[in-house]
Amino acid sequence: MEENFDPDLIHAIFKLVWSRRNKKVEGNQGIHLEGGAGTSKKTRATTANASALKVSCELLRLFVAEAIQRAALIAEAEGIDIIEPTHLERVLPQLLLDF
Amino acid sequence: METLGDDGIGIGSGGESDKERQEEAEQEAALLRDRLRLSVISMASSHAKTLGMTISEPVVACIADLAFKQAEQMGRDVELFAQHAGRKSVNMEDVILSAHRNEHLMGLLRDFAQELKGKEPCTERKRTKKALKNENKVQEPIEMLD
Repeated sequence: MEENFDPDLIHAIFKLVWSRRNKKVEGNQGIHLEGGAGTSKKTRATTANASALKVSCELLRLFVAEAIQRAALIAEAEGIDIIEPTHLERVLPQLLLDF
Repeated sequence: METLGDDGIGIGSGGESDKERQEEAEQEAALLRDRLRLSVISMASSHAKTLGMTISEPVVACIADLAFKQAEQMGRDVELFAQHAGRKSVNMEDVILSAHRNEHLMGLLRDFAQELKGKEPCTERKRTKKALKNENKVQEPIEMLD
C-alpha cells in the first residue's frame, strides 16, 4: 500500500484537539489570575515537527491496514470474499487494545 | 446515570459567544472528518484489492470514524507526552511512545522513524550501521501479544 494520509490533514486534526484543550486550560487559568494585573497570558499552543507528523500518518495508515487485514482474515475463514460489518466487529476489541 | 463517556456537554458560562465557538469547532471537525473519510476510502479499497477481497461500505465508514477518533486520541496523548518532557513541540519520539501498547507496532514505527532520519543528510549525527541496513520490510499482520 503506497498511499498515505496527508500530513497537513493530520496536523489540522491535532491542532483542533490542542486548541480545544488550550481553551479549557485558559478557562481555568482565568479564574486563578483574576486578582492580578490585567495581563492576558496566552499559553503557547502545542506544535509538532514535520517528522512527527509523518510518523503519525504512518501510525494511522497502519491502523487502517491492520483493521482491514484482520477483518479480511475472518471473512476468508468463512469463505466469503466481501468484508462485512460482522467481520469487523469480531476483530474490533483486540484491534483497539493493540492501538 | 453519569458515565465517563459523558463529555463536558452543557459546561458553558460564556453564553452566546461560547456556543458560537463550539459550533465553529464542530463544523471544522466535521470538515476534517470528511476529508479523512475520503482518504480512508481510497486506502481501504486499494488495500482490499491487494488482498483479493472487496470491502463493504459500512465497514469503510466505520474504519474512517475510528481513524478519526484514533487521530484525536493520538493528538491528546502526544501533547501530554511533550508537555511531560517540558517541551512545547511534539517530536517523533512522542508519537512512537503513544504506540507503546503493542511492542511490534512500536518497532515498526521506530524503523520508519530511522528511515526518515537516514534520508535527511543535513541532520547527520551518528550514521549507525543499523540505519543503513534497514530495507523495506514486507507488511505482515501485527502479532498479537497474548
